[in-house]
Amino acid sequence: MTAIIELERLAKRYGPITALDDVTAVVGGSIIGLLGPNGAGKSTLLKCLLGLLPYQGRARVLGLDANAQGAEIRDRVGYMPEQEAFLSGMSAVELCTYAGELSGLPRTEAMQRAHAALYYAGLEEKRYQPIDGYSTGMKQRVKLAQALVHDPEILFLDEPTNGLDPRSREEMLDLIVDLPARRGCTIVLSTHLLPDVDRVCDHAVIMHRGGVRFVGTIDELRGARGRDSELTVEVKAEAAKLGEALTAAGATCKVTSPVALQVDLPANATTQLVFATAQTAGLQVRALAVRRESVEAAFLRVIGEPAPGPSGVPASALPGTLADASMAVAAGMFERGGAGGQR
Amino acid sequence: MSAGQIHDLGYKRYAGSRRSMGTRWTVIMRHQIATAWKGWWRFKPWLIAGLIATAVSGGILYFLSGNLFRMIGGFSGQVIKFADGILPISMAWYAPIGFLVSLTVSATVVAGDVQSGALTFYFARSVRPRDYVIGKLAGLGVLLSLIMLAGPLVLAGVRLGLSDDRHQLFELLPVAYKALAIGVLGTLIYAAVPLGFSALIANRRYAMALWAAYYLLLGSMAQGIGRLTSPTVAALDLASSLKSVSLSLFDVHRSGRDLSIPTSAALISILGHVAIAIGLVVWRVRNAQQTGVGGSS
Repeated sequence: MTAIIELERLAKRYGPITALDDVTAVVGGSIIGLLGPNGAGKSTLLKCLLGLLPYQGRARVLGLDANAQGAEIRDRVGYMPEQEAFLSGMSAVELCTYAGELSGLPRTEAMQRAHAALYYAGLEEKRYQPIDGYSTGMKQRVKLAQALVHDPEILFLDEPTNGLDPRSREEMLDLIVDLPARRGCTIVLSTHLLPDVDRVCDHAVIMHRGGVRFVGTIDELRGARGRDSELTVEVKAEAAKLGEALTAAGATCKVTSPVALQVDLPANATTQLVFATAQTAGLQVRALAVRRESVEAAFLRVIGEPAPGPSGVPASALPGTLADASMAVAAGMFERGGAGGQR
Repeated sequence: MSAGQIHDLGYKRYAGSRRSMGTRWTVIMRHQIATAWKGWWRFKPWLIAGLIATAVSGGILYFLSGNLFRMIGGFSGQVIKFADGILPISMAWYAPIGFLVSLTVSATVVAGDVQSGALTFYFARSVRPRDYVIGKLAGLGVLLSLIMLAGPLVLAGVRLGLSDDRHQLFELLPVAYKALAIGVLGTLIYAAVPLGFSALIANRRYAMALWAAYYLLLGSMAQGIGRLTSPTVAALDLASSLKSVSLSLFDVHRSGRDLSIPTSAALISILGHVAIAIGLVVWRVRNAQQTGVGGSS
């Protein structure tokens, strides 16, 4: 994995408020999800990385020092903002051409790339119309195109699917997935929509209270607690009977249907325990799979908030956004459990 | 499941050179000029008005400097003096036109960019606050100078062209420098000061209204108070200050109705306004640079 962002004891304070607290991390990957509840420090980190805020410690993006070479970094990085950031009265082509020129491209090159970026973003003939009359979905596409026009090596996307209908959301996510392969750029996706992360990201950075709580692949995030001990078991019949037997053997079980149950194995036990117990009870195991955590559940576990277990709310019932998850935690929806995440 | 179709015209990584950081402001300047030129109401009518003012002033200057008028007048020295006075007096026509340009173009620039989120657009890329400020000021400067600077310079050219001989031409050369000076001052007033006002409010209409109120109402009040107390107070009225400096530079006597604002006070007022305005823009833009990208958390 090539590191695109290197942080070493990065700290940023606004008076008495610590926004970033000695953050040390090496971040790489193809599509990286930048996650964290509101106030976690994502925006401050982004500003530091783009050289827009002075900070203590060290931050390097593409090998460039963010404090000293912010403008150079921004020439090599594209940013798609969450809020509207257009110049009124301009068409999409004019805006993207201007964006390219501001990033140092010659006018002719900027115009050619503006057309290509808008075509790629799916605006086609509508690219000649004034942006003021665009729908939300079209505006999101223009925001993506203006971030792409100067050929960035890293693309920061801030809530790219916000306000989109399901079809437009799928199309936007398709574009995001396509970008690294087609254009060779790394994507940093900052979003509250965890299903989007689940769908497109291969790496994740989780921030909480000014610190980085997790850096790694999505698979590592889901399996960060050694989840091979959490299983879904299907039997021919009498799942409840197997549940009782496994509970007696020290496992934690939740029967989800007459033929299925979720099992948390006790420490040091292997899947052999399930087969042996079933054989003893005279039951037939038809399927056994390691239960994967959803990104939502993993996120909650990593930030040290209550995570769902076999006896709690099933992972599939978890809310889809960080804000929803935080509200659910506040409402006491989940039982507290699980260890903190990795540093 | 893929919901959309990926369009691609054939991507190639850009390998050419990029414009140097130090010249990015020229892109912003060009854009500012192009934006003002768009539509018929922002700049074009005022440019036409400026051209008419120049043509009329130039015509008067030509007529007064001509031999026919000298013969009719029979007191050529006075007539020539009066003809030379046309140039500073013409600022009384250029100033309202400059104000109209400032109202429709300059006073909305930063407010409009804040309102539309354009400052985030700028600062997410390699634009620095100084590039933005210099680019916008230069763009407005070019637009305003087409009226406030080019007009007086053309009149100065006419005056020099009407010289009787080379000796008189050299004698009158300072007219060109003086025209340049008042043109630059006028350009600064109507480019920079309203730009500062546009940095105060995040709504372009309110910014226009605020600038208009300051220029017209506060200017009138300053004049009134100046008449009652000290003429120095009237220096707060930018139009009067510009007029005062123009008349003083060309050594033209004021009419009885004109307030005699000390030239130094007028200059200090103009340059002070400009400095404060640029300071306001820099403050607003620096602030936007640090808060715009990634939200304000």
